[in-house]
Amino acid sequence: MRHHTIPRIVTKLLIPVILLFGLYVQFHGDFSAGGGFQAGVIFAAGFILYNIIFGLDIGKSILSVNTSKSLMALGVILYLMVGFLGILLGGNFLEYNYLSNTPINGQLLGIFLVELGVGLTVSNVMVLVFYSFNDISEEK
Amino acid sequence: MFVKNLFSAIMATTIFSLISALIFLLLDGVDVSLTEAAVGAGISTILFLSTLKHTDVMVKKSRTPSFPLIVLFLLLLGLLSFAVSDLPEFGKFNQTSNSQVSEYYINKSKTEMGVPNVVTSILAGYRGFDTLGEVVVIFIAGISVLGILRKRKSNS
Repeated sequence: MRHHTIPRIVTKLLIPVILLFGLYVQFHGDFSAGGGFQAGVIFAAGFILYNIIFGLDIGKSILSVNTSKSLMALGVILYLMVGFLGILLGGNFLEYNYLSNTPINGQLLGIFLVELGVGLTVSNVMVLVFYSFNDISEEK
Repeated sequence: MFVKNLFSAIMATTIFSLISALIFLLLDGVDVSLTEAAVGAGISTILFLSTLKHTDVMVKKSRTPSFPLIVLFLLLLGLLSFAVSDLPEFGKFNQTSNSQVSEYYINKSKTEMGVPNVVTSILAGYRGFDTLGEVVVIFIAGISVLGILRKRKSNS
């Protein structure tokens, strides 16, 4: 696909916007539409678009399969950690009130971290599924 | 169902996803709309197209549906249409499922969480445990896909 001029140029223009929008949805999810899941999918879609246009080899040099696997697990672990941190600091599992000095700040911090975990897991699962679909076609 | 060419079938699914995203948007479900547009129209189209690389584009032979299947389908359709009349009116405020919990969430989300977006505060805060289960499900699904589609070691 690298030799097709129009897709290449359009992708180059679009990818920063897509990634930025993904980050916006991720970190602004408390105040506007979106959240970790949507942001993860948007971010993964941007990255997959890059892979389609410029080839999987360059894509894998940016985000290798093993890094992606670790990040996928890290998202779930981050979520669980926030949950257990609530217990350690004197609350219930996944109770964010104790995470910071005031309950409101604790809630904001907890939701932020949890959404980050969701986003990490979702985006990396999407990228990994895409990688493994294309690994098969390389074999044939 | 009527399309023989799988490529056009995938495009029809994508267009359907985009239109339903628009419908969700009109119903003020911005979060759902965003998800539908990104997952339904974006990622799943890409995955369908990658799958299409391994198969033929055309459906080989189309089966004509058998008579008992049609009867069963019509029976189920009638039953479901009959059940629809018992559903509460669309968007009605005073029904049981809308009266207690959602009112609490809508009123308390701002003061308890400091989060203006009620959807986020329910998903990550009030129903945090459910979302944890959801993330674990996605994680397991990713692992399963990796396990099924992993590269065979070249011993054959």
